[in-house]
Amino acid sequence: MAKSFLGFICIVCNIWAWQVTPDPAFSLLNQAYAALRVKHYEEAIGAFRQAAALDPGRASIRKDLAYTLLKTGESEAARDQFAEAMRLDPADDQVALEYAFLCYETKKQVEARRVFDRLRRSGNPTAIEAFENVDRPLREGIARWKQALQLDPENFSAHEELAKLAEQRDELELAAEHYLAAWKLRPARRDLLLDLGRLWQQQNRPEDAHAALLAASRGGEPRVAEQARELLPSRYPYVYEFENALKLDPSNDALRRELAYLHLEMGNRAAAEQQLHALPQAAAPARFDSVPRSPSEPPDNKMLGEQSLEKGYMNDALKYLHAANENDPSDYEVMLKLGWAYNILKDDREAVRWFERASHSPDEAIASEASKAYRNLSPSLRRLRTTVWAFPTISTRWRDTFFYSQAKTELRLAFPVHPYVSLRFIGDVRGAVRMGANISPQNLSESSVIAGIGLAGPAWHGLMGWFEAGEALRYQIPRGETGRAVPDYRGGITYAAVKRLPRRLFAETNDDGVFISRFDKDSLLYSQNRTGRSLGENLQLYWNWNATVDAKGEYWANTVETGPGVRFRLNPLQFTVNFLRGAYLVNQSNPYRPNFNDVRIGVWYAFTH
Amino acid sequence: MRSHTSLLLLAVFCPCGAATLTFHVAGTDPGGWPAILSSIGLQNAARGEIEVIPSGIQPEETDWAQRVESGTILVLEGASPLATSFGFRAGTKRISVRSVEDVRAPELRIVWEQALDVPVFEVPKDARVFARERWDKTPLVAGYKRGSGAILWLAAPPGPHGYDRFPYLPQALAELGLEAPFRSSRLWAFFDSAYRSRVDLDYFAPRWRQAGISALHVAAWHYWEPDPQSDEYLRRLIEACHRNAIQVYAWIELPHVSDRFWEQHPEWREKTALLQDAQLDWRKLMNLTNRAAFTEVSRGLRDLIGRFDWDGVNLAELYFESLEGHENPARFTPMNSDVRSEYRSASGIDPLDLFNPKSERYYARSAAPMAQFLEFRADLARRQQAEWIGQIEEIRRSHPWLDLALTHVDDRFDTSMREKIGADTSKTLPMLNQHDFTFLIEDPATIWHLGPQRYPQIAARYQSMTQHLEKLAIDINIVERYQDVYPTKQQTGSELFALLHLASGGFHRVTLYFENSILPADLPLLPAASAAVPRAERSSGKLMVNARENVGVVWSGPALVDGRPWPAGSDRVVLLPSGQHAIEAAALKPVLRLLDLNAELDSASAIAGGMEFSYSSNARALAVFESPPASFQIDGVKAYPPMIGNLAMLPRGQHVVTATK
Repeated sequence: MAKSFLGFICIVCNIWAWQVTPDPAFSLLNQAYAALRVKHYEEAIGAFRQAAALDPGRASIRKDLAYTLLKTGESEAARDQFAEAMRLDPADDQVALEYAFLCYETKKQVEARRVFDRLRRSGNPTAIEAFENVDRPLREGIARWKQALQLDPENFSAHEELAKLAEQRDELELAAEHYLAAWKLRPARRDLLLDLGRLWQQQNRPEDAHAALLAASRGGEPRVAEQARELLPSRYPYVYEFENALKLDPSNDALRRELAYLHLEMGNRAAAEQQLHALPQAAAPARFDSVPRSPSEPPDNKMLGEQSLEKGYMNDALKYLHAANENDPSDYEVMLKLGWAYNILKDDREAVRWFERASHSPDEAIASEASKAYRNLSPSLRRLRTTVWAFPTISTRWRDTFFYSQAKTELRLAFPVHPYVSLRFIGDVRGAVRMGANISPQNLSESSVIAGIGLAGPAWHGLMGWFEAGEALRYQIPRGETGRAVPDYRGGITYAAVKRLPRRLFAETNDDGVFISRFDKDSLLYSQNRTGRSLGENLQLYWNWNATVDAKGEYWANTVETGPGVRFRLNPLQFTVNFLRGAYLVNQSNPYRPNFNDVRIGVWYAFTH
Repeated sequence: MRSHTSLLLLAVFCPCGAATLTFHVAGTDPGGWPAILSSIGLQNAARGEIEVIPSGIQPEETDWAQRVESGTILVLEGASPLATSFGFRAGTKRISVRSVEDVRAPELRIVWEQALDVPVFEVPKDARVFARERWDKTPLVAGYKRGSGAILWLAAPPGPHGYDRFPYLPQALAELGLEAPFRSSRLWAFFDSAYRSRVDLDYFAPRWRQAGISALHVAAWHYWEPDPQSDEYLRRLIEACHRNAIQVYAWIELPHVSDRFWEQHPEWREKTALLQDAQLDWRKLMNLTNRAAFTEVSRGLRDLIGRFDWDGVNLAELYFESLEGHENPARFTPMNSDVRSEYRSASGIDPLDLFNPKSERYYARSAAPMAQFLEFRADLARRQQAEWIGQIEEIRRSHPWLDLALTHVDDRFDTSMREKIGADTSKTLPMLNQHDFTFLIEDPATIWHLGPQRYPQIAARYQSMTQHLEKLAIDINIVERYQDVYPTKQQTGSELFALLHLASGGFHRVTLYFENSILPADLPLLPAASAAVPRAERSSGKLMVNARENVGVVWSGPALVDGRPWPAGSDRVVLLPSGQHAIEAAALKPVLRLLDLNAELDSASAIAGGMEFSYSSNARALAVFESPPASFQIDGVKAYPPMIGNLAMLPRGQHVVTATK
């Protein structure tokens, strides 16, 4: 009876104890040991792992997991579990020994030697023997290779072997000395710089380590560069770090070239040129005002192509973009860039081909831009090309809306001069320009529809000549004149150029020298110039510098204007708003004040078929 | 009854079981895909069970969703409307890729030789990502199963060789349902117990066999001196291997004998040209020119072979050091006093003079004296090889089942080997006319960076030098290479499979160095890659197979081979001899089946109450039956071969076996 009662009390106590401190891993461990008994190792490992996750502070689970992993040959995983068990229970020498043996087996000899060394100092006989087994060959090897170097000091493999053995024996200074010596004998072996950088990091020589790793990360083989990258900070290196690396590795052309790029980007042109001049001829870039390459995004043909395109080095752009296309024929963005590059180089047949390919891009933005460029450009390759443009403008000075437009159909022949037929409209809504004076500022409104035939020359460096003969049909006849239809002959030269500068700055000019028979056979020169900065793809802020002069010295044809402006695009329209302050250069017969202010708001629309 | 009929019909109309046999790459430029897919035994066809749509190709066929549902594995490269339709959409952001992480082996460094700019893709939620960019984890290879088929998508083409960017594409395809059609179980592998000292050998042995390994060549120098604990380990290893139809060879690395031998006999240590003891890398070289040393080593070898139940001996790398040749005197051997004395007697020159910058005969000053010494050295290596082959042949008198392999570095493809290490095939290969051994050609480290195509070239050079083609074998070193190689430092995945496949096509036997270095992800596909099947096709319910060597064909259920009931194979695999064969479904299973055979199967037939087969083998043949036969006849004579469970150990040579239940 007493026994039964005692048993009952025990059961109650056990249940109570279990309820107070339940073992979260109990059932998983049961499962693991059951699997282990029947040699179902994968199942046991899975259960041990889950148990360890539930009870991460229990060293015994880690040990059992490690021993099971050993059965399946997973030595590295077992080593890591023993490492964790050793961390949880530092007093367990057996675990530390297991860890050290596995470190040795998995090529972490340095760590193995350190652990054996620690344990042997506490008198552990296994550790004493193991340490000796590890240390003795290292000792002897070091002595042997030192002797070999005495006999043959320039022996590369002796330096390399000695460095490796010294590193395994924790003789960091000796190891660093011989890695350096080996690398100096074979400077192309930048993997040795990687070893050196790693060692210098351990020796708490951060700047030296950084220099070695930076040098290893540039100009060597990609695998070494990637390993060096892991050991370097993620930020881009500073100039002085490049300089330190070059002091160590002066023959590293890639490193020097990148420093030059960095100087250029920082505006230090002289320093950049100094670095570039230090490069051997073959390693120097044809152009050097490019952006520096970040270590996280290694240079590639596509990037170089885009940069060349942006900077206007079109032949380089083509070379790099074609290489990028060969590298990845499915990169539609490269196709698009190739289209633009050919377009800028006036090879529109090639441009159209690339735009057409890029228009199949699954990326809507690329496809849309390419399709639009294709639509715009492909008509230029047709025999008959019709261009229509319109430019309505509101002027606060004249309190009127002016409307300029032209429809022109051009016959594109192999012959460099193209005939065309043209219909122009030049007029205004209110006839305001005639108010208050009997003299018409004819440059603003001719109040006519002008039909004509003409010849246009080929464009050459932005310069083009043209001549047109026709009839102007006036819908308003100026006072003192008669005849609705008057002959109209006009011709001239046009020059247009855009210069793109760093930091999205730009300068552009549109210059027209025009002879117009109707203006008393006058010749005018319009020059409209803008300098400014692009803000994004569709917005530009700029300053106007406009001038008009003529041959006959008419007041309305001799003005200068200046002032800010903004241009923005809402496809397919382009809007301009200009705030101009102007002055007449000729005031004889001028009915207006010599200076004027004008706000001009215009909308440009054009298409070609 | 109805269900039986259905099963039979299923078997008739689905030859080759669930295995994937064919592939097709759309367009005119298949890139690296044929190399990837043929390396695991798949056959190029006009319409494939795997269909690859390379980047930029617009396939004519439109109903891909239906084909995938019906079992096609569709492989898509990059951005395309088809990829978009399966949920792989390119975004506007792009990323420069040079380092790749494969989720199977995140620690494996995969580095591309050329960085590539690719769009960042959105992949379907249920897709499994197989590989991604190492630093920002952008998916690069992903896939998912749909119906009976699957989609595999890659952000970029695999590269011209097939393994340039994504080494584990075959594994990804396998995860998506691909089963390779053929399996070979003829690989040899070197084995070093130092890396496997605490594994469960009974766990490993079946895994090795499943990976296609037929023999382990075990580093025998660890067992040179008797030691109860390590001897017990080796006995257990050999027993476990034999139970699983794997042969075990003693791999000898003379002139390295053993660590203890080096310690015990400092007087016989080899010397370098700096007159230092020749401990080079892990090998501690002994002077085997010395007759006392030779006698002692010979005695040790007999003891080693006698203490264990070996199936063969591999006499490996018996020449000199090093790959740096005479230009590195710190590693140049032999320079022991016996060799120097012999050379001095023959030529009047102490070879040490050749390394003395003050000597008139210094190699940098005068090339001829060094050339003469290197000639002598190559001849010395050949004499030593012949001497040790003679030793093994003597041991064979008491152990007639023993096979012999001579591992010899290639000096035909890399012709510098003769000068560097004294290896001269032109002198060694003719020994095949007098001695029975396998000439195992080791791929020299100097050409490890060259592609898989080197193996057919190596094979061609040796095939013109000997009539004994069946005795030529090749050794592939699966190790981290010292050269700049991409994408992985050690061969794995597609590159390894291509190496194996091409090597198996050129050589009778392929050996891997070594068992421990083969990455776990590669093991399941090794048998497929090492199968040498130049041609296979399905026709009229039959599977026609033209095999260069013995091969296992993945097959469900009983089979007729060339119209006859076939007793060699299991429920999943049909074992075929080399040559052209037709397999078709059979209604009945033979009463006794040969499930596995570690030998060359020459023929097989089902007979009343059992089966008959013929085989040939350089070592003991290991035959696994479905159930233990009640009786055996070998070459018409009643026999009682040693049995381990269902496994019979059959005699070396060419024999006919009749087994009845």
